[in-house]
Amino acid sequence: MTARAAPAPLPPATTVGLLGWLRQNLFSSRGNGAVTVVLAVVLVWFVFNLGSWVFVEADWTVIISRAPLYIVGLYPYEGYWRLCICLLLISVLLGMAWRAWPNAARRFAFGFGAVMLFVGVFPHEMAPDHRALLLLNLPAIGLGYVLTPRPADVSPGRLEALAGSALSPALERAAIFSTPRRKVIAALVALVLTMILILGIAGVPGLDPVNPQDLGGLMINLLLAFFGIVCSLPIGIGLALGRRSSLPILKVACVIFIEVIRGVPLITLLFMSRHILPLTFPEDLNIDRVYLAGITITIFSSAYMAENVRGGMAAVHPGQAEAARALGLRDWQNTLLITLPQGLRNIIPAIVGQFISLFKDTSLVYFIGMLDLVEMGRVSVQGNQEFIDNGREVYLFIALVFWVFCFSMSFISRRIEGVLGVGRR
Amino acid sequence: MTRLLYVQGVPIWRNVVALRWIVQIVSAVVVLSTIALFLLNVAREIEARDIPFGFTFVNRAAQIPIGEAVIPYQPSDSYWYGLVVAGLNTVRASVLGVILATAIGILVGVARLSPNWLLSRIALAYIEVFRNIPLIVQLLFWLTIVLTLPRVVEGYVIADAIFINNSGLFLPWFEAQAGFWPWALITAIGVALAVYAFRRLSRREIETGQPSYPLLAASVIAVGLSLVALLILGPLAIDIPQIEGRFGRLQGGAQLSGSFMALLVGLVIYTSAFIAEIVRAGIQSVGKGQTEAARSVGLSGMLTLRHVTFPQALRVIIPPLISQFLNLTKNSSLAAAIGYPDLVSVANTMTQIAPAISLFMIVMVSYLSMSLLYSLLGNLYNRMIRFKGA
Repeated sequence: MTARAAPAPLPPATTVGLLGWLRQNLFSSRGNGAVTVVLAVVLVWFVFNLGSWVFVEADWTVIISRAPLYIVGLYPYEGYWRLCICLLLISVLLGMAWRAWPNAARRFAFGFGAVMLFVGVFPHEMAPDHRALLLLNLPAIGLGYVLTPRPADVSPGRLEALAGSALSPALERAAIFSTPRRKVIAALVALVLTMILILGIAGVPGLDPVNPQDLGGLMINLLLAFFGIVCSLPIGIGLALGRRSSLPILKVACVIFIEVIRGVPLITLLFMSRHILPLTFPEDLNIDRVYLAGITITIFSSAYMAENVRGGMAAVHPGQAEAARALGLRDWQNTLLITLPQGLRNIIPAIVGQFISLFKDTSLVYFIGMLDLVEMGRVSVQGNQEFIDNGREVYLFIALVFWVFCFSMSFISRRIEGVLGVGRR
Repeated sequence: MTRLLYVQGVPIWRNVVALRWIVQIVSAVVVLSTIALFLLNVAREIEARDIPFGFTFVNRAAQIPIGEAVIPYQPSDSYWYGLVVAGLNTVRASVLGVILATAIGILVGVARLSPNWLLSRIALAYIEVFRNIPLIVQLLFWLTIVLTLPRVVEGYVIADAIFINNSGLFLPWFEAQAGFWPWALITAIGVALAVYAFRRLSRREIETGQPSYPLLAASVIAVGLSLVALLILGPLAIDIPQIEGRFGRLQGGAQLSGSFMALLVGLVIYTSAFIAEIVRAGIQSVGKGQTEAARSVGLSGMLTLRHVTFPQALRVIIPPLISQFLNLTKNSSLAAAIGYPDLVSVANTMTQIAPAISLFMIVMVSYLSMSLLYSLLGNLYNRMIRFKGA
């Protein structure tokens, strides 16, 4: 007769499952339990009040009736379809990103699609063709997804498995953005097309040029932050190299530039640029304030970018530079081919972080008279007798828009860190 | 020099020393001429386009009203004095903001690490909500809230001494009496004694391992001495704000205007979200092994916290914390958007008559000196911790 081991006794009910979790995380001691109860009461009270305000008391006509102003400013109505096409291009890129980095970009693609669906279906005044163009974003995301091959280290999704082998040759043939170069070209083409569509070209029917002053709303915040980051990267790299260099005057000049820009508020720089930058251009050239804002934000951002790059380069292991010297590389080769590329990989999360803070800082361009999202909101509250009491609605809406963008970007940045293996290599 | 630059058989374009000199000189010429070209160009254009420039205006009467001031100000005072008044307003907002933001940031950061799931999640929500919304939107929102408060006569009153209404917050405040300076002197001596006692007892604690309660002893000395002197000398009277007149004007006490309150609340909440993350990261950066090692050599929980965990966490926390202080100070310039007369706001008003470029040069130099002050603080701290041997 063989002795059977008695089955292990089950753990007491109070340590596992929901009850166990509650006990461990919310009621581990008497004081802890009291804190939980108080917080829960306050939270319920807060959520209840907020909910009843949002759904009952608040009057959202101030947002709904002027929604286009918040999103695109004074952009001419005839050009809205062009902006819709820009959104389609972004959707394709998002679809590509979803395919290439599923962990980082999937939720973002979903979220973007969901917003487009919501705006496209939401019952408000909107031309049917704009509605259709917005809804087209959903297939556009799918298109980008299909046009990109599945990365080798990603297992096939459920849909693909369902489609089975019958579809896979077709999918492989469709995936034309197979090399990094093709992906970069696709992104650049989309970027150029976006700029052409937004600003227009003189003489081309349907693409009438748009006065840069009429760019506004959320669009101008996004454009300024995007171009600020893109343009400030090369300048920042230059400044960082200058700060690391052994040439004393160059080094001192870079240090002074970086520290002065970082030591003063952006608002004062915007003010100065309004008065000084026009002086550096010929008098008859009436440079638009959009470009003034763009230049200022680029200068501002490049000082911070320089510090990021410097930090990233400092984090490269000194053994790398020593190995490069041992192989006979010159100093400049060492910097440009060994230290800088590795340093740049180190700072990708920092660049996303800087993009977020730059995006928030673009809300200061009201100081040189531009109608960005925040200023649009302020004007519609303070300049309108009708909406003078709707400040809370407007600012909460604007806060929500900024929050969604900033939060999702910081979410992505955390995922990108994982994808690129920063800190793992 | 010639010996260095000319080496037998080595052509000059292969001589490292000579090359370095050439590159140095060329780079210097390029950098300096670029700067000179820019400045000359701007100077020429300023003259050509008849743009007012110069600093002679600072002694003229400013003729602009400043809504609130720490030191007495009237429009007939000079521009120079007006800028000082505005700068003090910036300093007032920054100093109060830094203190409150640090306190709240530490609380939220510690709450984020609490074993209580609900508390930790609420702290997380606080951080993620407030640091992802531009400060200016938050300021405009708080201003809206302040402006929708009831008027003075119908406003909230707490204990007949604190008034909250749409013109701001009114608190009881102290008024200096005859014995103020002797009292201040005694308090200063008390603080010095307390610092001495704190150091002495801390050292004893580290050397002997006996709990010596340095913080407690120091506070008792400082506060006790000050309190005793306060009771004997009676240097301070309490000034309670009161509603005067039918239309309700509050007189006396400390008056914090509505826009100042909006600015302070916005700055404190925004910055405290960043500080909370710094505090959390700092506490988490101290390895568990440190605490365990301290406990295993017999240090008590309090002593471990004070001598092992805290000093190491502070080393990680302080440098980014100081940069947050600087950010808060720079961000206080957004006061211009909500009507608090800070440096930028007042300078912007002055540009209606005075030369704009000169004014903002002064403003930028003021902010630069504040940021230099902060980096000085940071460097001092870095030197301090290096001395003890990192």
